[in-house]
Amino acid sequence: MEALISARKLSKTYQMGEIAVNALQGVDFDISGGEFIVILGPSGSGKTTLLNMIGGMDKATAGELYYKDMPLHRADSKKLTQYRRHTVGFIFQFFNLIPNLNAFENVHLAAQIADDPLSAREMLEKVGLGERATHFPSQLSGGEQQRVAIARALAKNPEILLCDEPTGSLDFETSIQVLQLLVQFCKSMGKTVFVITHNSAIAEIADRVFYLKDGKLARIKRNKEPLPPEKVVW
Amino acid sequence: MLWRKMFRDLNENKGAYIACIAIVAIGLMMFTSFSIVMDNLLASQENFYYYEKFADGFAEMQSMPYSEVDKLRSLEGINEIQGRLIKEVRVIFPGREDNVYLRLISVDPENNAPINGVRLDKGTPLKSGEMNIWLDNMFFDANKLELDQKIEIIAEGKKKELRIAGAGKNPEFIYAMRTPSDMFPTPDTFGIAYIPFETMKNLFQEKGTVNSIIFTLKPGADYKEVEDRLKPELKPYGLKSIYSRKNQPSHVLLTEELEQLNNMSKSLPLVFLCVASTIMYIMLKRTIEKQRGQIGILKALGYNNKEISFHYMSYALTIGTFGGIIGGLLGIWLSFFFTDMYQMFFNMPGLAGEFSLSYLFISIILSLVFSVFAGFQGCKNALILEPAEAMRPPAPPSGKSTLIEKVALFWSMLTVQGKMAVRNVFRHRGRSIFVFLGIMFTFALLASPWSMWDLSQEMLFDQFEKVEIYDIKISLAQPLNQKKAERELQHFPGVNRVECRAEIPVTLKNGWHKKDVALLGIPANSQLHRILDSSKNQVEPPANGILLSERLAQLLDAQVGTELNLESIMLKDPEAVKKIVVAGIIPQYLGLNAYMELTSLQSLLEQGDLATTIMLKIDEKAVPLLQEKYKNSAVINGVEDRIKLLRQSMELMGSFTGTIFVMLLIGVITGFAIIYNSSIITLSERSRELASMMVLGMTPSEVLSVITFEQWFLAIFGMAAGIPLTKLLLVGLAQSVNNDVYTMPVILSNMSILAGFAVTILSIWVAQRMAARKIRSLQMVDVLKARE
Repeated sequence: MEALISARKLSKTYQMGEIAVNALQGVDFDISGGEFIVILGPSGSGKTTLLNMIGGMDKATAGELYYKDMPLHRADSKKLTQYRRHTVGFIFQFFNLIPNLNAFENVHLAAQIADDPLSAREMLEKVGLGERATHFPSQLSGGEQQRVAIARALAKNPEILLCDEPTGSLDFETSIQVLQLLVQFCKSMGKTVFVITHNSAIAEIADRVFYLKDGKLARIKRNKEPLPPEKVVW
Repeated sequence: MLWRKMFRDLNENKGAYIACIAIVAIGLMMFTSFSIVMDNLLASQENFYYYEKFADGFAEMQSMPYSEVDKLRSLEGINEIQGRLIKEVRVIFPGREDNVYLRLISVDPENNAPINGVRLDKGTPLKSGEMNIWLDNMFFDANKLELDQKIEIIAEGKKKELRIAGAGKNPEFIYAMRTPSDMFPTPDTFGIAYIPFETMKNLFQEKGTVNSIIFTLKPGADYKEVEDRLKPELKPYGLKSIYSRKNQPSHVLLTEELEQLNNMSKSLPLVFLCVASTIMYIMLKRTIEKQRGQIGILKALGYNNKEISFHYMSYALTIGTFGGIIGGLLGIWLSFFFTDMYQMFFNMPGLAGEFSLSYLFISIILSLVFSVFAGFQGCKNALILEPAEAMRPPAPPSGKSTLIEKVALFWSMLTVQGKMAVRNVFRHRGRSIFVFLGIMFTFALLASPWSMWDLSQEMLFDQFEKVEIYDIKISLAQPLNQKKAERELQHFPGVNRVECRAEIPVTLKNGWHKKDVALLGIPANSQLHRILDSSKNQVEPPANGILLSERLAQLLDAQVGTELNLESIMLKDPEAVKKIVVAGIIPQYLGLNAYMELTSLQSLLEQGDLATTIMLKIDEKAVPLLQEKYKNSAVINGVEDRIKLLRQSMELMGSFTGTIFVMLLIGVITGFAIIYNSSIITLSERSRELASMMVLGMTPSEVLSVITFEQWFLAIFGMAAGIPLTKLLLVGLAQSVNNDVYTMPVILSNMSILAGFAVTILSIWVAQRMAARKIRSLQMVDVLKARE
């Protein structure tokens, strides 16, 4: 099967003043559509860098990264904008909702720029916030805000969903709800999901787990039987 | 170390701070330059008046024996008094077609300290009885004359040669205009000449008479009382007018100009400093909010409040210092240029630009005061924070629906970006008001000079293309019989139409309101001088009653139907007081006149069919012939060519283009600075939001549209509000500019509104383009990585 995303000797070096930081060093992998990937690793191991490159927010300094046939490592900023616009959805630890727009408008903001969007209203209902559509971020709890962020990411109907510590600032129960949504999106709609986390318990729900260390892909573990999120404990 | 931090912080947002410095500098530039010029003019005026003994009172009569002057000296309150003979003559410059006039004023060469003395720039003393003169230096220079050169004049119809013995200036003619209807001095065609009394006497065959007196008052004497004592003494000699220094034409114009400068040097800089302070305040407040964490760390390290607040104040102080120095220096530089400009109009000694250390100092102090105020207001919140609290992120901005969302139709029309923008407008009220006011101010700053320029052009054009539409105007030395004058010229080859006009000096009174003006008698159905109403339709001069110009009506507090008292030395009985009713009020921007139908004016005067001016329609080819024939006639004062008058006035207006251009430039810079700053502030405040939108896959221009929509939304209202502000500004300008010569219409021309819109929009657009560059360089990854 043709890979959805493939990386060859992917490297990223940041110039921090006079010191060069090697955030990623020669990473190789292939990912096919519909996979649920968890990326584990300590801080500074290159997780976010990898995710940003897959999301078209950052470019490799060496190596190659393809989305299908599209060389992301060579794409210009226009092409990357189009890629983010139509292919990728992002979820962050700190939600990054627009404080000035209510829940529905935040979702709609994303839906209106996509080619084949899902209904913003339905997405909100799907994450269980149909009733709170007119609430502003400041009137929502952390878990609710994150669910709006997920609805916002899903409304674009992206091929790939990238989540950077999506449960990092949530309590256990809310975290499980969020993970359930992500798994549901992956399995029922056949989309590819990446989740970055510190929390190794979450790795149990993944199809594959990427262990990153010092910018290198230390190992890849395949779960024969991924656990449903509600069975995960920490 | 903190200084280094400040300079780096300033450097990060250098565009915004430079714009801020620019506004401070513009304000102080105006303050310094206007103040220096005003000080210069004032000092020069005071000095000139004092040393040349500028008269306290002036009177003009038909003719009075010279010996009578001595008797008046003993009147109570009079310190010194001088009689003189004043006559206007034509000058013949070989090869020149235009009319050049000199006003000859008799002087006493024996008197070493006369009233209204002439300060000689060059030359030798006048010799009594010889044909020698001193010329006013403006005329001397404009006509490139030389000492001892002889010029030819026509006195009583005869050519005479006068030797130029010297050139100098006189406080009486600092602003020398030939007639009250002139707008500017025209030193190439009109000048003053000082001539020994004995010479003048011979030139005009006057038997030792004078037609003007000037006097100074004893310390403590009251002018009005002296005038009352003088009047009965002068009446028998045909007193035409008597007035104090306060009403002397040149003095009036100079004081008005000084007043105007004084107002401008105070009000305009204040506005600019306030705008700059507001920008500084907002920028500083924003910087401090952004640096909460850093403040917390500084506090945790043990820095005290004073040190921290000084650190943030130092931002404002740096801007203030730079703005003050740049503004002060630019102002001093500009004052040289302005002084040069004033020197073109005001003929005073000692008018020279100079480097003023004190004003540089004052402008820096002024700038610092405003900066410290803005800085203190901006940073006082930082001090209240406890270290631990400072290090925590501020409470999230609360989102709520705004009132405008209730307007469902409008709200549903907006895109999501539009909704964000509109909500932002109402969330950040202070900043929105600032942008709104800024745009309003920018618009007015652009539209008002434009309107002034536009209308003065139109005014001039109207005056010479629609109102006074003769080809040639002949001014008579004395009133002549209308029929005779018409007969004389009707048969001149090339003349197509002859109309006479009477210009009669009158005093109009309404209660205690009183004004001396020229009353124009215009023939009914005139085709050469048309009176226009405000919609530019021709109005017939009334057979019964009088038309007043708007400003005159205002000065007399008269309405249509008001009965005025009319006095004139041209009445058969000069003591008589005639009653006349105001029949209409018309706009008039050049000059200050009243109008009547010619024949009814003639019957009012009871002096027969007299005329003072002849207007002609004439073939162009015949003009030189006409000029040639009447040039030297004793009964003719001047032959004026309308097209030349128009061209001359247009040329003089040209000298104002520079001022208008400077004002436009200031408007553009201000508008740009305000919009650019508000964009930058918005960008830094909402970088996280905007980056989130980029992550969602929006293009930089889609992201920018949130900010631009907000600005355009405010701009529409700002520009609309700018229209009444422009009008207000024009009213203010008109009040300071208007005088008897020139009335500025308080009308906003359509062109200026369009221009205001266009240039404001352009400067907003340019500022947004510049801000857009910052959006492109927005680092999505960095912004989203961490909580603020």
